[in-house]
Amino acid sequence: MSTNTTPAERLRDAGLYAPGDAVLSVRDLNVRFNSENGVVHAVRGVDFDLMPGKTLGIVGESGSGKSVTSMAIMGLLPETADITGSVRYKGKELLGLSDKAMCKHRGSDIAMVFQDPLSSLTPVYTVGHQIIEALTVHNPTMTKQAKEARAVDLLRMVGIPSPKDRLKAFPHEFSGGMRQRVMIAIAIANDPRVLIADEPTTALDVTIQAQVLEVLHTAQEETGAAVVMITHDLGVVAGMADDIMVMYAGKPVETGTVEDIYYNPRMPYTLGLLGAVPRVDSSDKQSLVPIEGTPPNLAQPVIGCSFAARCPMVSDACLHGEPELLAVPGVQGQTLGHKAACIKADELSGDADAHKIFQAPPKPVSKFDGVARLERAKVLELKDVKKHFPLLKGALIKKRIGTVKAVDGLSFDIREGECVSIVGESGCGKTTTLLEIMEFHPDQMGEVVIGGVSNKAATDRKTTMAMRKEMQMVFQDPTGALDPRFTVYEVLAEPLENLGMPKAAIRKRIMELMKLVGLQPDHVNRFPNQFSGGQRQRIGIARALAVNPKLVVLDEPVSALDVSVQAGVINLLDKLRAELGLSYLMVAHDLSVVRHISDRVAVMYLGKIVETGDVDDVFDNPRHPYTRALLSAIPVPDPNLERTRERIILQGDLPSPLDAPKGCNFATRCPVFAALPAGKQEKCLTLEPPLASEGAQDFACFYPDGELDADMLVVHA
Amino acid sequence: MTNIIDPIAEIDESRVADQDVVIGKSRIIFRRFMRNRTAVAGLFIFLALFLFSIFGGFLTPWDKETLDPFNIGMPPSPDHLLGTTQAGIDLMALIVDGTRTSILIGLIVGGLSVLISAVYGCTMAFFGGKVDATMLFILEALIMMPAILVVAVATSGSGGLKNLPSWLLLVIVLLFFSWMGTARLVRSLSMSLMQRDYVKAAKYMGVPSRRIVWRHLVPNIGSLLVLDFTRGITGAILAEVAFSFIGIGIKLPDVSLGVLIGQATGQVSSFPWMFWVPLTVMFLLTGSLAMMNDGLRDAFDPSSSSVGRAKRTKPQTAKKITK
Repeated sequence: MSTNTTPAERLRDAGLYAPGDAVLSVRDLNVRFNSENGVVHAVRGVDFDLMPGKTLGIVGESGSGKSVTSMAIMGLLPETADITGSVRYKGKELLGLSDKAMCKHRGSDIAMVFQDPLSSLTPVYTVGHQIIEALTVHNPTMTKQAKEARAVDLLRMVGIPSPKDRLKAFPHEFSGGMRQRVMIAIAIANDPRVLIADEPTTALDVTIQAQVLEVLHTAQEETGAAVVMITHDLGVVAGMADDIMVMYAGKPVETGTVEDIYYNPRMPYTLGLLGAVPRVDSSDKQSLVPIEGTPPNLAQPVIGCSFAARCPMVSDACLHGEPELLAVPGVQGQTLGHKAACIKADELSGDADAHKIFQAPPKPVSKFDGVARLERAKVLELKDVKKHFPLLKGALIKKRIGTVKAVDGLSFDIREGECVSIVGESGCGKTTTLLEIMEFHPDQMGEVVIGGVSNKAATDRKTTMAMRKEMQMVFQDPTGALDPRFTVYEVLAEPLENLGMPKAAIRKRIMELMKLVGLQPDHVNRFPNQFSGGQRQRIGIARALAVNPKLVVLDEPVSALDVSVQAGVINLLDKLRAELGLSYLMVAHDLSVVRHISDRVAVMYLGKIVETGDVDDVFDNPRHPYTRALLSAIPVPDPNLERTRERIILQGDLPSPLDAPKGCNFATRCPVFAALPAGKQEKCLTLEPPLASEGAQDFACFYPDGELDADMLVVHA
Repeated sequence: MTNIIDPIAEIDESRVADQDVVIGKSRIIFRRFMRNRTAVAGLFIFLALFLFSIFGGFLTPWDKETLDPFNIGMPPSPDHLLGTTQAGIDLMALIVDGTRTSILIGLIVGGLSVLISAVYGCTMAFFGGKVDATMLFILEALIMMPAILVVAVATSGSGGLKNLPSWLLLVIVLLFFSWMGTARLVRSLSMSLMQRDYVKAAKYMGVPSRRIVWRHLVPNIGSLLVLDFTRGITGAILAEVAFSFIGIGIKLPDVSLGVLIGQATGQVSSFPWMFWVPLTVMFLLTGSLAMMNDGLRDAFDPSSSSVGRAKRTKPQTAKKITK
């Protein structure tokens, strides 16, 4: 094996063709892990050079080896992993260094921002302590005052208000977005030359994601560091990255500048990924591009092209030898260095249509689509539903010191065959709304009517069972929603047995369900952990459909899935809605998905609906400043658009429902409010704007056409 | 730093759909256990002691009642492999008997206490509210009761249980005091399981609560119970030794490791073999169980990182792994 080389040999090999000015050069990086199924070859030969001040985006689905690559660079993989190749920082070989030697580089030369800000900070130390710790490790001679001053500077740089006081705050006193800012502050504390950000915004809300990306941008400008941005979201990197590396099955399959990748993809996988992402900025309602199948098993050697099994353009030639990453023949207006690992790269010129190549199904039409909305029957109606939690204080005798209004007077209805989505940041009450509907109890505040059954009449088991037959739920996390000890058959049989269906009928129904959701019927005896995430979600959908409900409640149905898999599940949901005449109530934070699948949308903020209407009306012409901000925060997978687009960056986080403002809920963060003259601000602070109809949609704002505050607008030119 | 384990888990995740990688759960558990060398050694020691306690009687022609008047208080010799007591009884025969009693007490107490705590804990978590509060109060009260006094009173025969053999009496008393901790653990675990999405899903399907507990809760706390079983055995054996040592546990003519150790403490200098042999057996017994426990945790814990090594330390092993 060629990988059995000494570090000196590697260094010499790498030096032969690495540009001298690169801060980080990776050559032929290979990582192997042992698993229950044998040795997994997780990363199979990654090469890249990172130039100072540039941003490299590494894109790929989970398991493609992008995180493992970053961990290998940082030397953070477990001892048991086998790492070969060469990683050089400014010409110095990092692979093979001892942990102690590596510590000199970690944090000072190469720093990392992790995905989960919750677990990356130690809860028992103040954030100031943790920043100063990072400074102390690499600058032992720095005085205490200097370190503190530097920490305050850093916190200010990442946009934390009153940084001097916040230095003494503990991580739990910060919100998720603020913690991620602190993580960035720690990462840039020693002016690293390379900053590796591993899915830095995946765990955050869109508005917060926009803030954090902004902070990363500033951090890069201030320090001049090169950034490796690892993400599965093609939108996030479109505006930030200079170069993109698309990874698949542990190997880069296409590399090039952002323009090359987004406008002229030459590898079918890249093309499919781009087509699989729904667009928030277009009302075009065609089906998404599904990439069928799963990535190859890296515990076995890959024969031929790793993508062959899922590629629509596959031919016999693809199965002989894995294609090399070769330069794409230059076309006019295209930079050199665009490489693709596909023998058919030439056939995919700039005007290739992913929908045609991947044979995306046509957009299904429901029998209800032709009927006017008001003529369809209501399947769900909410009238002034409220959920207030008392806030208690005191150890022995509890005293009520306030009320958290998680859901505050919600009214809407869902008609047959339509999909209504509730969107908003986490903490706005959208999941509580779903749970209130699912609980279906006569003691609730407000009325919930499902298929003609009101919760006020649900006093006996018969009525509740009738309602449960009308409505079923699909959960966010497909793994958590299936009992790991049940076979698929048992999972699907549970709701049917509960209805008292005879055994033979159950078996027949389960076979139907498996076919309906696109799973092989002979897989019913498998356990959930033997399926991939997308297949598990299909099982969850099959279970929800088992009793033939009219309404399916979807709680973030695709947020836990990979982009390529997500497209398949969204297409399935679309198809089922049309074929079975289902209605959906969906909660989602991904507005692109919402736009693609929904007919109507309700934007929630602090327990109230602030804007609602047809999805195209609301998205194309948002009236409420919050909706405008939400929409502008969504990154679009289009580099040119993304770079020139005007963005509203909201200040701060969602206020806690406890100290909700008196007048308009949104006034504390509102970009319109901030620009208003004081006389007009008074109205926002004292009166609560009602949800009133104007134009095509309903919204709750006094000054929908007011000017936006200049401070909150950001344009990257 | 969960981030470090993530990439590996991620890779496993995307491969599972392939037919060829489907491995039965019991096989994974077995393999993970076998990967822990210490645990396998523990298992072997325990099995050896178990067999010794049953068939050990064949290793010596003597039994624990016969006196050998020619060998009184003699150190190990070809006649008596482990020597004799000052009364002339063969120590090997005593050890075989004592080990059997100790293992018996351990197995019965370990097994039954796990069963009791599972039922009690699940009931608490399932009913909640007032039932939970009352049962929790009883449990806390039991934890605070001084076990040693109850053992002393019960085994001295003043409880009216004279006709029961002393080892059975000790089993009953130990059982009474051993299940509380686990019951509390089971309660909190099932409470968190009740919050899982699949339990919620069953609830929203209208499945009755009783069936939810039986089908979703009990199987999912199984691995905890297996672990607690071995831990319970160790605990019971140690408790027996401790009680017998201070003279309130097993009473003669029954023999146990604790009794043997207790008797020999006075004459460690003159008859050292009488002290060290039973002590070594006890260490082997509890030690082997403790060694096994670690391996069982590796095997049953789904978040365990026991997947072996990919790193090649020697070229020969590398070929073996990568083939």
